[in-house]
Amino acid sequence: MHFSLRLFTLLAGMMLAAAGYAADPAPSLTTPDQLGPKIEQPIEFPHFRHAGDEKDGGMQINCMYCHTYARRSMVAGIPPIQKCMGCHKSIPSVQDKPRIKQLFAYWDAKKAIPWKKVHDLPDFVRFNHERHIQRFYFQLDRPYQEVCGYCHGDVKKMTVARRQKPLTMGWCRACHLKDHPLSKDSKEIGHGPNDCFTCHK
Amino acid sequence: MSENNFNRRDFLKVVGMGGAAATLSGCGWTSIQNGKETVVSYVTLPDYVIPSVADYFNSTCAQCDAGCNIMLRVREGRALKAEGNPHSPINRGKMCGLGQAGIQAHYNPDRVTGPMLNGQAITWDKALQELNNKLSGVKGEEVAFVTGVMSGHAQSLLNTYMDAVGSKNRFSYEAISPAVLRTVNKKAYGMSMPRYRIDKARVVVSFGADFLGAWVSPVYFSQLYAKFRKGTRPEGRGVLVQIEPKMTVTGANADRWIGIRPGTEGILALGLINALGASGVSIPADIAAVAHDYTPERVGTDTGVPFDRITKLAALLKERTPSLVLAGDAVEGYSYGTENGMAIAMLNHVLGNVGKTVEAAAAVPFTQFAPVVGNRSSLNALNDGLAAGKYKVVFTYAANPVHTAPASLNFSKNFMKAGFKVALAQYMDETAKAADLVLPLDSAMEDWATVVPEYMAAPEGAYSEGYAQMSFRQPTMEKLYPNTDGSGTRSVCDILLALLKQRKPDAYKDVNDFYSYLHADVLKNKVALGGTAADDNDAFWNDTISKGIVPLKGISGKLASRPVVAGLSLPSPVTPDASYPLRLIPHVSASIRDGRNANEPWLQESPDPLTTIVWDSWVEIHPKTAEKLGIVEGDIVEITSRSGSIKTQAYIFPGIHPDAVSVPVGYGHTAMGRWAKDTGANVFGILDPVYDKTTGELAMNETHVKISKAGDRVIVVKDEGFGGGSQAGKKKIAVKVSAGKVDLSKEV
Repeated sequence: MHFSLRLFTLLAGMMLAAAGYAADPAPSLTTPDQLGPKIEQPIEFPHFRHAGDEKDGGMQINCMYCHTYARRSMVAGIPPIQKCMGCHKSIPSVQDKPRIKQLFAYWDAKKAIPWKKVHDLPDFVRFNHERHIQRFYFQLDRPYQEVCGYCHGDVKKMTVARRQKPLTMGWCRACHLKDHPLSKDSKEIGHGPNDCFTCHK
Repeated sequence: MSENNFNRRDFLKVVGMGGAAATLSGCGWTSIQNGKETVVSYVTLPDYVIPSVADYFNSTCAQCDAGCNIMLRVREGRALKAEGNPHSPINRGKMCGLGQAGIQAHYNPDRVTGPMLNGQAITWDKALQELNNKLSGVKGEEVAFVTGVMSGHAQSLLNTYMDAVGSKNRFSYEAISPAVLRTVNKKAYGMSMPRYRIDKARVVVSFGADFLGAWVSPVYFSQLYAKFRKGTRPEGRGVLVQIEPKMTVTGANADRWIGIRPGTEGILALGLINALGASGVSIPADIAAVAHDYTPERVGTDTGVPFDRITKLAALLKERTPSLVLAGDAVEGYSYGTENGMAIAMLNHVLGNVGKTVEAAAAVPFTQFAPVVGNRSSLNALNDGLAAGKYKVVFTYAANPVHTAPASLNFSKNFMKAGFKVALAQYMDETAKAADLVLPLDSAMEDWATVVPEYMAAPEGAYSEGYAQMSFRQPTMEKLYPNTDGSGTRSVCDILLALLKQRKPDAYKDVNDFYSYLHADVLKNKVALGGTAADDNDAFWNDTISKGIVPLKGISGKLASRPVVAGLSLPSPVTPDASYPLRLIPHVSASIRDGRNANEPWLQESPDPLTTIVWDSWVEIHPKTAEKLGIVEGDIVEITSRSGSIKTQAYIFPGIHPDAVSVPVGYGHTAMGRWAKDTGANVFGILDPVYDKTTGELAMNETHVKISKAGDRVIVVKDEGFGGGSQAGKKKIAVKVSAGKVDLSKEV
């Protein structure tokens, strides 16, 4: 009786697992772009206006001016409202725009803006912004928009940021297998770490 | 044992498979969420905060009274985890499980979040007003204040307050305290807490001192013990002999564990002195006279320790000097506890350890901050006063007498006789529940405090220099329940200041809160605290609190010369009363201790080191005794003393004397919180009112019980699984070697 129960457990479990696979087939691992859904944000923040090229009416602000922790911390950080106000207090020309009014309303109420997460990895994945920025922006001297764009896509053309890359493990791995020089002037070639432990700890 | 063959392992398989299947089908390959979680940014950001990068704040642990220095990892304004402060002479960068659980005292969902008057939430203003009203017209002697161990500024403020009220009724109460030991040490060595240099001894003979588990300052002693055990030490690797009727975690670590008949520890000590004398060690005449009759044969009969083992132990002590003899809880808990302890202390004198491994400790130079330690006799004094209806206003702080008083005192009934009861409490524990007014306290991660430990450790190499220290506790995060809309929690010092303002409005009118009081006090005493008058105030303050430890030039104590012990006598072991044949040994476990932290689930979950039992209390019964009574593991048994009875699960344990049973204290709360309430049984309640004749302390081991099966049988929840322990036929916990074949001095 005992044995048959175990066997039943095993079979039932395997069938359930198989059903799981069948119901949700794996997407191709190397898909470069996989646009995520549109996300409603409390304020429709225009990335293109801040980070976009001049010819598109943007101000070409470095991503890390606002997402200032990307180079020093695991998380890039959503800027505190204080930071927005630092500039917007002295730009009277746009202060009557609805989105800026919203911003001022949050500031006056001293309330945090409940932004929705656009790039939200599962809790068992540990992605570190600092490592990537330090390697590609500071050591390899790649342009910041390219570096951030590896994972975030062409944010400078977006209004509200939208996920553009799959951000699956296979997709991460596809990049981590690629060789690149270890620093700008180095002849040494390396690639990203591929140990489970690096991201799953 | 369970009838069902479907065991835990199979259960986990089913759950695991189901879980895996659910994961795969539910999330598949893409578990990326879009726009579901919120990422809330700051409105304004403190300068030093980088999200996801942690800061560390030095502070002081408040989980027990050892006062270990800790550092707290704080990220995004949340205290996350405590580590030992590596610069601390006490814990030297280490921490115990009890300390680790401190974070759960802070985030505990059962904390009191605002003042309560008769169960109704009120504002602080009203609470303090009500208190003031109740105090008006009350004479000083009608006010009583019950506290646990207090030191530093809190102690000094309380003293000032008691003076302002004109009351001398300060009761310092510790449910578990080495109070008898303090008295013994004072008599034998001239100071109540000398330094025990375990690290210098070549052999340690510990009579029931669980110094690796729950005794005095366990993390500190563990550090010394680690050194003591190193073979590379000039003195060589030390030998530990543990003599106790109930095996503790220290006993489990010992080279030799001797399960002595409870209460005969002093007899064995005198037997050892006798044997030492016989082997040529010179014994002072008065001690020799006392020990004269304690021949190894007689002592062997009295203590149950084979007499040749006694002579071997004496030989070991003679050969290996310096040694150190310790006396712990197991020795104190008798009506002759002081004599028991004195006999053991004499062993240190005979062996010449005093001055070598028993060293003078230094005291903190600010006597107003010195720790005021507690005992159990103060509870009796308080209880007598309450019974006589002497007190109109009673304060309680850091003590839970309603839970820890033996039922025979009738404390909870007498407590109700007090006119107005004020509990300063973090939880709605038994005492707070019985109180009229509850003033909620900050957690130890939210308040400011200064702490002076009773056991004054010293950094390596600075023992002789009279090292003393004062530690700082500082808020590591914003209060979880801030003082908005008049509610919220406050620190004990802030409450004492508010009370002082009621009594002495002029003297304290400029004091806003305890932070500013402490800040001003520290800066005023820069020089005494190790700075110079020229130091910049801000720099000095920041330096002081960021280190968390202020080393001080202490007042060096002096060991007194040996007292004459003529007339020291120990009673012969009692023959058990047939109706109550077993001796009850209440055991202090390393994590639950006296029960003040019982509502921290990590502590309930962390297994007792010897039985691996979690989430419940248990009674340890020797296999022979259990066999005689027909008890097997998991039987719910009723333990009945003359003062009451409790029911708990049986655990068959070879590490206990056959004439004794042991139940851990600190369980069986009837209030306090979701995890403490109804978990286990409260053994404090059934203790008989027997007291140490010299100190008046409750003799914890003098309760005799009978045990009967109550009918039910449960599966004991323990980490070793229900097939583990004695149930698997393992009757022995260690290899047993007959005494004749052992020569401890050559063993190690």
